Amino acid sequence: MKTRYLSLMLLLSTFLFGAKADSSIWGTNLLTHILEYDKEGSLHMGHWFTVIQSTYVKPVLLFVLTVIPLAFIVHYALVGPKRFSHKGKSIMMFPLFKRINHGVAAISFMIIIPTGIIMIFGSTFGGGTFVRLCKDAHAIAAPLFFLSVIPMLITWFSRMLFNLKDDIRWLKIAGGYLSKEKKPVPAGMFNMGQKIYFWIVTLGGLVMIATSVVLYFVDLEIIAPVLEYYSISQIDMLRISALTHNIIGIVIISMFMVHIYMSVFAIEGAYKSMINGKMHEEEVKILHSSYYKELQEKGEI
Amino acid sequence: MGEYARMNFFCDERRCIKCDGCSVACAEAHELPDYISRRKVITMHEGIENMEYSLSIACMHCTDAPCQQVCPVDCFYIREDGIVLHDKDKCIGCAYCLYACPFGAPQFPLDGAFGTKGVMDKCTMCAGGPEETNSHAERELYGQNRISEGKVPVCAAMCSTKALLVGDSASISDIYRERVLSAGHGVTKQPYGWDVAYGNKK
Repeated sequence: MKTRYLSLMLLLSTFLFGAKADSSIWGTNLLTHILEYDKEGSLHMGHWFTVIQSTYVKPVLLFVLTVIPLAFIVHYALVGPKRFSHKGKSIMMFPLFKRINHGVAAISFMIIIPTGIIMIFGSTFGGGTFVRLCKDAHAIAAPLFFLSVIPMLITWFSRMLFNLKDDIRWLKIAGGYLSKEKKPVPAGMFNMGQKIYFWIVTLGGLVMIATSVVLYFVDLEIIAPVLEYYSISQIDMLRISALTHNIIGIVIISMFMVHIYMSVFAIEGAYKSMINGKMHEEEVKILHSSYYKELQEKGEI
Repeated sequence: MGEYARMNFFCDERRCIKCDGCSVACAEAHELPDYISRRKVITMHEGIENMEYSLSIACMHCTDAPCQQVCPVDCFYIREDGIVLHDKDKCIGCAYCLYACPFGAPQFPLDGAFGTKGVMDKCTMCAGGPEETNSHAERELYGQNRISEGKVPVCAAMCSTKALLVGDSASISDIYRERVLSAGHGVTKQPYGWDVAYGNKK
């Protein structure tokens, strides 16, 4: 049993690390990479990586990091936060498992997002040990996110499916966040905004994990047959992964900022429902009116 | 060397005999670990008659170095003579330079966190790095600084057929032009061999 286990582990580790011995980046494939560079029919990924990485990534992230908070300040000043009575009955929204699940994902995001931003603006931080430590923390927190994203995808899947009747109406009134009125908003357990965020973070997050594995191990042997099938060279795969990782990363950062603003500022004290799992009746009645009706029909209220 | 001269590598593919001496000399001179190869010899059109030739490649010290453009920590700098160097104290080992490089020049030692990508290492054209010239720290991090001593980079210095040339473009093209013009001049057949030592017997 022990030997079988050991040999299995050895086999698995050779898949990941065995490639080091005969690198597909610096080894025999180096030549094909050079021949493919800007040749007719090549993907031109070297060129695209250089152009996008050198001219767009930093300014776009800087734009996201300044314009979105500015929009929040304007919204907070003009419309202000939504306040709900915390006196009435409270409804259990998130059982313990989902809260822990959400907590693990939150911790991993708290590490991954700031360290990612620091790496993109590495020159501002002067590079060296500090940025290198951020890079390591980024890599250490990634498995934590992977651990939380799978159960999250499974347990919330059915509630996150789009319900066109409510969701389109929700989009039309922008979730009611542009008015001070407290009118019932068409939304189930999760509104359209939450659904969009969920799908971007889970599916996008899985893409982030896949690309990060490619980038982390450089010579990933297990994807070699797939690359061969589509005749993509390993170096082009690395370039595609780095670009995808950065673009989806910026999308997730902007969505994450909205998520934080909604839970902490836009709806006063909304984050508390992710700590104790409870949401007050008035909040559910207005922000998740369809879910409230559903509970009433079931006779749970 | 003119005012705007930039240092270049040039490999004369008609002379390169694929002896791999340049990469061995480089690895020995800079005491590189065995998985780092700053210089490599590659063969183009391998097995195709009259098309096959070999070349020695390393960092080509590009004028518009893409590695420098994509580096998130700006660790690259280009010397006035065009040599592209980098600061290993700033480098975080993200490998973006490798993705941008058309020649696969950036190398990564397996000594970073969890034994993956460490700090980048590449050909310095034997010009060291940002540390004090010819200091112990520079020697440890970047290898020999032969340029500061007025020596030719070790790969070009030891090239047995002088296929690998290094210098400013004007001098390189002068040498190459001379080679092209004098190739085969006044020689009708290969003159020397064991059977015809000291010319024709008859």
